[in-house]
This record gives sequence, C-alpha cells and structure tokens, in this order.
Amino acid sequence: MKTSYAFILAGGVLALLATAPVFISDYWTGVLLGMTGYVTLATAWALFSGPTRYVSLATVAFFGVGAYTVAVLNDIMPYPLVLLCAAGIGITMALVVGLSTLRLAGVYFVIFTFGLAELVRQTVSWWEVNVTYTMGRYVFLPFEGRHIYWQLLALAAVTFLISWSIGRSRIGLALKALGDDETVAAHSGVDVTRIKLLLFVISSTIITLVGAIQAPRWTYIEPSIVFNPTVSFMTLIMALLGGAMRLWGPLVGAIPLFLLFEWLSGTFPDHFSIILGLMFILIVFVMPNGVLAKFDSLRKGSKL
Amino acid sequence: MSAKLEIANLNKRFGGLVAVNDVSFNLEPGEVVGLLGPNGSGKTTVMNMISGALACDGGIVRINGTDITKMKPHKVARHGVARTFQLVRPLPTLNVSENVMLALAFGKQRHWGRTAREMAEDKLAFVGLAGRGQEKVGDLTYIDQKRLEMARALASDPDLLLLDEWLAGLNPSELQIGIDLVRHLQDQGMTILLVEHIMEAVRALCSRCIVMSAGEIIAQGACSKVLQEASVIKAYLGDDHA
Ligand SMILES: Nc1ncnc2c1ncn2[C@@H]1O[C@H](COP(=O)(O)OP(=O)(O)OP(=O)(O)O)[C@@H](O)[C@H]1O
Ligand SMILES: [Mg+2]
Repeated sequence: MKTSYAFILAGGVLALLATAPVFISDYWTGVLLGMTGYVTLATAWALFSGPTRYVSLATVAFFGVGAYTVAVLNDIMPYPLVLLCAAGIGITMALVVGLSTLRLAGVYFVIFTFGLAELVRQTVSWWEVNVTYTMGRYVFLPFEGRHIYWQLLALAAVTFLISWSIGRSRIGLALKALGDDETVAAHSGVDVTRIKLLLFVISSTIITLVGAIQAPRWTYIEPSIVFNPTVSFMTLIMALLGGAMRLWGPLVGAIPLFLLFEWLSGTFPDHFSIILGLMFILIVFVMPNGVLAKFDSLRKGSKL
Repeated sequence: MSAKLEIANLNKRFGGLVAVNDVSFNLEPGEVVGLLGPNGSGKTTVMNMISGALACDGGIVRINGTDITKMKPHKVARHGVARTFQLVRPLPTLNVSENVMLALAFGKQRHWGRTAREMAEDKLAFVGLAGRGQEKVGDLTYIDQKRLEMARALASDPDLLLLDEWLAGLNPSELQIGIDLVRHLQDQGMTILLVEHIMEAVRALCSRCIVMSAGEIIAQGACSKVLQEASVIKAYLGDDHA
C-alpha cells in the first residue's frame, strides 16, 4: 500500500519535472539538466559503491568514454544506435575492469580506479593525436537543452527503478552482506565475485550513458573536458553527503551540492578545487553515513 | 540431512610453518566428532580448508563422494556445508533476521520473500532468539551473537556442520543450553565436526574424537579412550604429566 503511494508520488514529481522546460527559461533548463545528470551519476555510483564500500574514482572514465563514443559515432550512425554502442562499450569496459580489479580491497581499489581514469584519458589523447590526427571533436546533433534533459530524466527514472528493485531483492541483501564481511557472505552461499561484477557493470553502464547523453551539450569535445577528474570527485561527495546506502541518499546529496558547485565555480573559479577538497573532508568527518542517516539518528535520539 | 565427509592427506603451509601435515579422517553420516588439540595445532585451518576459506596445498576433501577440494566457499556451501566462526562474525549492516535470511536466500533451497522471513523466524526460535529478528546485531549479548551465528549456519540447511569453538566463552548454564542445542541437531541426524576445548561438551556430544598437535593427528578413536592416551596428555599438558 505504502509502496503504491510512493510510486504515484514519484510518478507525479517525474511528470512535473518533465513539463518544467515549458515554463522555465533555457538557463534554468540547463541547470536542471546538469542536476539530473549528477543525480543519476551519484545514484548509479552508490548502486555499487554504497553497499560494497568499494570507493570508485573511475566514474569519469566511463562518463568520458560515453561522451567520446557519441563524438566519434554521431555522424555515421543513427542516434539510438550510437547510444546502444556506448552502452555496449561501457559494459565491455566494466567487465574487463571488474574482472581484473574487484579482487583488490580497500585503498588499492580506490587508487586503481583513479589510475584507470587517467589511463583512459591519456590513451584517448594519444590515439587522437597519433592515429586520427584530431585533437578535439565536434558533436552536431539536433538537440536543444530540453531534449537532453528529457533523456537524462528518463535515465534517472530507470536508475531509481533499478536501485529500488535491487534493494528489495536477494541481490541487495547479498550486497550489503558482502560489504560487511565477504568471507561470511561467501560461506552463506553468495557468489561474491559475480555479484560485485554484476553491480559494477550495471552502475558503470548507467554512468557511460550519462556521458553519452550529455555529449551533444558541449558541441566541442576533447579529453580534458570529458575526462575531468572533478566529475568523479563530485559524484563521490554527493553520494556520501546524502548517504550511499539509501535509495534517495545520492539525490538528497546531489541537488544542494550541484547548486552550490554551480555557484562556487562561477564565483570562485580559481579556488574551486580547494573548496571541493575541504568539503570532501568535512563530509567524511561530520557525517560518514550521510545526511539521511544523521537525520535518522537525531530523530531517534530526541525520542529517547 | 546427513553427509559423509572424507578427508585425505590434507596439507597447508603458511610460509615456513606447516600448519596442517598429512591429515586424513572420515565422518560417517550423522556422526558428531570432536576435533581437539592445543592452541595453534591446526584445527581451524582444517575447517577453513573444508569450507573453502583456504586453498589446500595438497590432499582431497570429499562430501558424499563429491570432490570439493578446489571449490570456492559459496559452492561448498551449496553442497551442504555450513560453519560457524571461532570469533563470531555477525553482519552489522543487516538486522538479526536478515543475517539468517542471507543464508536462506543463498543456501541449497534459495528461499525468499515471506517464506524466507518465516523460516528465519523458525531458525531464530530454534536457537532461542524468538521474536528478536528486528534487533540490531550490535545490541546482542555475546551468547546471543553465538546463537545468531548458529541460526545463520543452520539456515542454509546443511548436511555437514562445522562448529569452531562455538561453545567457548559461555557460562555454565549457557553451556548446558548450547550442548542441548547441538544434541538436538545430532538427533536430527546432522553430521557435525566439533572443534572444542571444553571437555565436558566433547564427552557429552561426541562418540569419537580426533586429536591434533602441531598440524598432525596424534590420536583418534572413542573419546574416553583417546583422552587417556599418554601422547594426548603430553600434547595438552607438557612432558611432565605424561
Ligand atoms: N592465515 C594464516 N596465516 C599465517 N599463519 C596462520 C594463518 N592461519 C593460521 N596460521 C597459523 O597456523 C597454525 C595453526 O593455526 P590454527 O588457527 O589452525 O590453530 P587452531 O588449532 O585452530 O588453534 P586455536 O585453538 O588457538 O584456535 C598457527 O600457528 C597459526 O598461527
Ligand atoms: Mg582455532
């Protein structure tokens, strides 16, 4: 009963958000677009990294590959096919990366994923300079901001649906268990490697698609733009602020932080990275489990 | 419900240390056997190799005739082997009931939904945690964590249960409850390998025991006889007492 009300409410909000571009200016549609992008990134990131606690900094590797796929293929294929290719490349890359790294634990995984993002960026740069002789590409697709926004909104809705259904399934239980203790999960019958790989692939594919869908917005693309590590860090901070273990956590973190970052990067463009770093430290120290968990514990505390 | 366990020539080295050296024994279906030995003699290591937590350096483990030596822990679990851990390992993110549901969802039968919730409640009731499924594991007392550990092991519907000092650290009345619980499983016909330092429990539960020292089996047979052998007393208490 409660679930069906929540679905009706979520559907209503979604419909409202979808009609928003009709009423608001192009500038605000652009803000909404960026925000939806980050909400999707943070939610997809938390899908894998939340319960498993494998902190991934590879977000921008997948995001950038998605964007580049569109840049390379957009004038030789119909758009839906381009998206399909981007998803396929995302899946393949996630499988290769997952199979080779999900055995790494803790900080080694963090470092590896960060290195991976740099490696992909350098490889793409090298390829463009030495093989295709094109540093930078143009994306000409007949999309306005709101078209991109609608696509992202649909992807966000699908991401929430996936996250919700995993949370209710036995896979969700296994994920939480292996985040606590992989040995115990394995001895209870959980195929730890396979479940981690599955979730990593789902999460990475969504992230790739966010990059692909957003590509037309830039018109001009080069590695330093779409492989900017800030994307990985912002995604991480947003998910952590809201709480990576909860369905709505990343959304709760992403909205205020996106607006704040928009403002900061406009007002203090030179000090943006420092401020980002400070906020990161603050969040990890003050509420390691996120705002929602903090609210919960405050509420429970006041009841006693 | 019952499984036959066969172990032949098991070996394990940690660097230069030979933790398990050429260990062989069998458990007949429905047998409860004690695996004894002083600290560091290799008992937990043997269990780890049976459950798949550690790879063997040599030897074979068979369950009902199936070779499980090289299987990963989740495969071994699906062949009907469950275990408890010497240091309790409850999963703190899950509540008490979910800890048990995990093993129900991924055990041999793969229960989920309402059935799984009801079965989890049954298992909890069996170990004495009836109605406490919604509690956080962090709030449980030590004995209740041990009970939870047992409930989770039983939830995968095992044919062979490996208990690693499950009765250690309990006070006398709790110990009696624990012994009764294991005896109940014994009556159901479960095959149980019991690593234990508490002789009272071993005498009460085991028909047979195997004694290890420094990685090797030094004695095995009926409990009453084995525990009186000079080599066993020497291993436990030192040369002076032999
Ligand atoms: N993962 C490991 N790495 C290195 N050495 C280990 C490892 N596990 C066990 N050992 C060593 O192997 C030997 C046997 O250990 P094991 O835990 O099997 O003993 P045990 O008989 O269970 O002892 P206890 O009664 O104290 O639990 C010990 O010397 C121990 O230090
Ligand atoms: Mg031990």
